[in-house]
Amino acid sequence: MDFVKGLMLGLASGAVCAAYCGPVLIPYLLSRGGNILNNLLTILYFMAGRLAGYLLFAVLAWAAGMAAAASIKSEKAVFGVIYIVLAGAMIFYGFKRAGGDCAVKRAGFLCSTTFPAVLGFLTGLNLCPPFLLAFTEAARMGVLWRSMLFFAAFFVGTSVYILPLAILGLGRRIEALRYVGRLAAGVMGVFYLYLGILSLKGA
Amino acid sequence: MADNNRVDQKRRLGTSAVKAILLTLPILLLTGLMVTGGQPIPKEAIRLIPLAVTYLFINSIFFLLIYSGRISRYRTILFVTYAACFILTFTTNLIETRGSMILTQENMVKGETPFCPMVIPMVIIPAALTKTIIFPGSMASIGSILVAWLGVTIALGRGWCSWGCFFGGMDEGFSKIARQPVIRNINRKWTYLSFAVLLVIVLTSAATLSPTYCEWLCPFKAVTEFEEITSAKVVVQTVIFFSLFTGLVVVMPILTKRRTQCGLFCPMGAFQSLTNKLNVFDVRVDTNKCTQCNLCVKSCPVFALDEESVRKGRARVTCSKCGKCIEVCPRGAISFHIKGTDVGGNGRTAQLMFIYPAFLLLAIMGSGMISGAIYRVLLLITTGSILK
Repeated sequence: MDFVKGLMLGLASGAVCAAYCGPVLIPYLLSRGGNILNNLLTILYFMAGRLAGYLLFAVLAWAAGMAAAASIKSEKAVFGVIYIVLAGAMIFYGFKRAGGDCAVKRAGFLCSTTFPAVLGFLTGLNLCPPFLLAFTEAARMGVLWRSMLFFAAFFVGTSVYILPLAILGLGRRIEALRYVGRLAAGVMGVFYLYLGILSLKGA
Repeated sequence: MADNNRVDQKRRLGTSAVKAILLTLPILLLTGLMVTGGQPIPKEAIRLIPLAVTYLFINSIFFLLIYSGRISRYRTILFVTYAACFILTFTTNLIETRGSMILTQENMVKGETPFCPMVIPMVIIPAALTKTIIFPGSMASIGSILVAWLGVTIALGRGWCSWGCFFGGMDEGFSKIARQPVIRNINRKWTYLSFAVLLVIVLTSAATLSPTYCEWLCPFKAVTEFEEITSAKVVVQTVIFFSLFTGLVVVMPILTKRRTQCGLFCPMGAFQSLTNKLNVFDVRVDTNKCTQCNLCVKSCPVFALDEESVRKGRARVTCSKCGKCIEVCPRGAISFHIKGTDVGGNGRTAQLMFIYPAFLLLAIMGSGMISGAIYRVLLLITTGSILK
């Protein structure tokens, strides 16, 4: 039952989730210039990271319960820091990448397999409206495995909207798209930086 | 030598005085209707003088443009004048109707925010998903701008950026100040920045259901309207607006002699590049005549020509059809072109077919602003106040 509820919530609000993940994922996929299969793999790495973020919240939701859920909502500082870390990664990727397949060869953790997972993890920790709904529901459960199952199902439901982004691989022969994607990642990073600083300031 | 060049250019691009007068006649008629708005000619001098001066100015520019063949030079004069007058007319109108240039929450709720074409790319996805327009304007103003934008896109494509946009003349004006550029080379990858900004604002507008470019990135907020400072967030936004305006519209154009805001940053320009396919005009290089001197590459204000595009014989998709490359080419190898026809075969015809709608757009957009600005100046001289 928890799985079905989580899945339904994910399916119902997945478009909003995709709208929140899109600004991070789309520029990255464009900049990679991979084909559809490569993009699918990248999205899977991203989603694995996102799942890790979700499950972390599932544990928190279980541990904290409903009362703490409200306090986490007001913990703007935490989310401000998450935004800033995400912004730093994207700005670094967008503006410093000199060439080659790997994002930043000297910084191994930012290479092709790990970087999308890191982005996914950080995105998974963002408080988008559907995520807040899922968190509130999971906080009511009181049993760890139920909370985790609910979040896993929510993740599956929302993923339906993210997987089709692999189709961006159709434009892989257009070299300009890689430049656009890379620069967009950098600009997106600057936008998240604003949000992070404002979140910290409002904390 | 310089005189010889001028004579050559005149022979190549210009036309005789009689022919130029005849070609100006339709514009005289149409601008006459536009300037008066189909209303009887006003009797008071303070209303009549601005209309008469605007009418004479616009038609003189068109005559000179046709007679000399120097499309870019005379277009620039009108375009920059229009932009400068836009600031004066727009801001004084705002102050008269709303009390100040400041945009309050109340103004937004009442739908008193003028709808700017820059908003168009941001409203499409949210409108499709939520059936709402994420901009605080009236439906009438939004609808009219959308229809006007579609018409201009079909007629001119990205020509909007050099013949219609009320902001474009600002960085173009500053780009004419220095004699020589201080910064000559800009890495090609930065010419994709406007597309990146477009992608970012489309995605973030869909995610946040708000026009993020207007909220965070529009440099022209610095000289038009800006949000009332009520929080740290608005302070940050205001600092960004002023920094972008100073950097992209004033300093960089002076240093590079290029339109850096239009060529490197403006997402509406990038959007127009993508929809440019709807339009029949483009700029082509006759590779048989071209000697690859790259004078056009060095002088293109919006970075739409590079060595590769010259070799291929066509301007890049970001070409704003300003005519600068046509004017500087010493071999007459570059011309406006109608898609589907031979390159170089119908240069003059294509040029005229493009210039009429393009100039009319500039005249339509500019005449109200120019006459409005002259009226304000006269008001200031006669009453001591720029406001009614």
